[in-house]
Amino acid sequence: VKKILIANRGEIAVRVIRACRDMGIGTVAIYSECDRPALHVRLADEAWPVGSSPPRDSYLRIDRIVEVARQSGADGVHPGYGFLAENEEFAAACREAGLTFIGPTPEAIALMGSKTAARRAAIKAGVPVVPGTEEPLDESVSDAQVEEIAERIGYPLMLKAVAGGGGKGMRMVATRDELAGALRAARSEAGSAFGDSAVYLERRILEPRHVEVQLLGDHHGTVLPFVERECSLQRRHQKVIEESPSIAVSPQTRQAMTAAAAAVARAVNYTNAGTIEFLLDAQGQFYFLEMNTRLQVEHPVTEMVTGVDLVAWQIRIARGERLTLDPDALLSPRGHAVECRIYAEDPDSGFMPSPGKIIGLRVPHGPGVRDDSGAYEGGEVPIFYDPMISKLIAWGDTRAQALARLRRALVEYEVRGIKTTLPFFQWVLTDPDFLAGRFDTGFIDRKLRARGGAALIEPDEQQEALAAIAAALSHATRVAAPEVPGTGTSSRWKARSRAEAVART
Amino acid sequence: MKFEFDIADRARTVEIHRQPGAYRVDIDGRSCIVDAVLVADGTWSLLVRDADGRRVISAEAVVVPQNGNGTLDVYIAGRSIQVNFRGGLGRRSREEGGTHGAGPQRVVAPMPGKVVRVLVKPGDEVHPRQGLLVVEAMKMENELRASRAGRVRDVFVAEGQSVEAGVALMVVE
Repeated sequence: VKKILIANRGEIAVRVIRACRDMGIGTVAIYSECDRPALHVRLADEAWPVGSSPPRDSYLRIDRIVEVARQSGADGVHPGYGFLAENEEFAAACREAGLTFIGPTPEAIALMGSKTAARRAAIKAGVPVVPGTEEPLDESVSDAQVEEIAERIGYPLMLKAVAGGGGKGMRMVATRDELAGALRAARSEAGSAFGDSAVYLERRILEPRHVEVQLLGDHHGTVLPFVERECSLQRRHQKVIEESPSIAVSPQTRQAMTAAAAAVARAVNYTNAGTIEFLLDAQGQFYFLEMNTRLQVEHPVTEMVTGVDLVAWQIRIARGERLTLDPDALLSPRGHAVECRIYAEDPDSGFMPSPGKIIGLRVPHGPGVRDDSGAYEGGEVPIFYDPMISKLIAWGDTRAQALARLRRALVEYEVRGIKTTLPFFQWVLTDPDFLAGRFDTGFIDRKLRARGGAALIEPDEQQEALAAIAAALSHATRVAAPEVPGTGTSSRWKARSRAEAVART
Repeated sequence: MKFEFDIADRARTVEIHRQPGAYRVDIDGRSCIVDAVLVADGTWSLLVRDADGRRVISAEAVVVPQNGNGTLDVYIAGRSIQVNFRGGLGRRSREEGGTHGAGPQRVVAPMPGKVVRVLVKPGDEVHPRQGLLVVEAMKMENELRASRAGRVRDVFVAEGQSVEAGVALMVVE
């Protein structure tokens, strides 16, 4: 593999381009109409348009993307996550076109992509699963029939999309009265998100933690599990903070859970990167939840505690190389890493999406801090795609040090012009229960409900006074245009941005 | 120069007097000396000294005007603070959008998106928190709900229609 087409956008496209650069591999970006100025386009060796802004006309166009790969002379395709990453037709189309798909086989994607088939595979591998339906419930199954099945499994339960992921098409059903409404909503959301409206039922494990195991499998029969990640901090079933290792996992549980994950992967001859998700209950019992047949959003926390570049290994595996990593080292984390997913959403208005132009950006740096981002000053956050703009990751010798560094970095991080979830993370990172590791997947929603919509971060008296001074100074100097020391740099900046604006038009 | 602001519903008075190399700033009657350097467009480095000179606070404040309404967003330590000019254009009424209190409730698109489902029709009685319509934006479906009981008077949009932020979608009275 000498030249890779990255079939994605945003921070993950940038992440893959960086791995390719590190390995001396050429990069081909693709972009939709609104992404012409995007960072991934500017960082890649080549960039090709694939269509208009809505995903189905661009980033989901298998035919166009394969055609661009051919025209550009790319010999490999990295799908990132989301879009076509777990689409077996895309993986198959790449294979038929003679392109190396940097991910699992279409067969593995298809098998594990069906949540019900994945459950059966886990059961066959001797791994415990959450009690629920083994068969998909498509539109032909009536509400009354679903109600009957639900009665058998028992409330509360979860409705999930068979083709699902990322919390879409997922609903919690507490009682029988909620079932019909939840079923309609889940099917509709699943239909529009995945093109498959079938759902299935699972008993709801009370106060579970979400713990998952990263895996790499090569084409020579080796499957290696990594130390676990914990992703219990979720808002409406979407992960918002992830960390590795989990403080709820004992060495014995780690042993058992990573072995179970590897067993499931081996049972389906899994290759490349994948993740097995488990629910961990209060008694320390874990249950197979699903397998993600792609690189995960939260892969950096694993990279930080193991020192392994997962994207580089995806490429090496796809080239046919053997996994030469030390299995014991992968299960012995060095220090602790925590990640925040930063979204263009307004946490003080019920997390409404906040698309728009980023007019100012200051990215944190310093010891133990990593920012995986697709954001840039002057960039628009389009309305067409997922509103995640970056991932902020902090590493420390201990969990406490990692969290202290993350708190420091969040104060340095500024995204101006749009609302982001940065204040939300500043708030979570001062919560005593979070700091003590006392949480489950319902933690964030409960804490937010308890606040009853109160503003997440109230500026203190001193900050308000400083804001008043700055506002007054801005006006006073604009009106009188005085000579303020240091304006030399300002006018240079202005001149440069004016020059850039002219160059763009 | 004297300014009156509202910050977090509190009135603040700021007076600025130019001095050699610095400003004397009186904020709500308290004096301080401010060494202010504009390090980039809208970005101020502030060194704020007490009048007795014993304490110096260093802060960076980035001032960003909101679109045309005179309100400023000031960013300090990763927080955004909204500064409104007293009695000026920037004062925003709390009742904007009319989601609380008496009178007809205008349901407004909170962001650009696509109407995927309209769950009620004119004449329907709705109860508080009942879903009215579903708008899809940025890959998520957001259900807009009634803030209180009432009857649907008008529905201005149809399923499949794209809407801009701030557009009225329906009226509940």
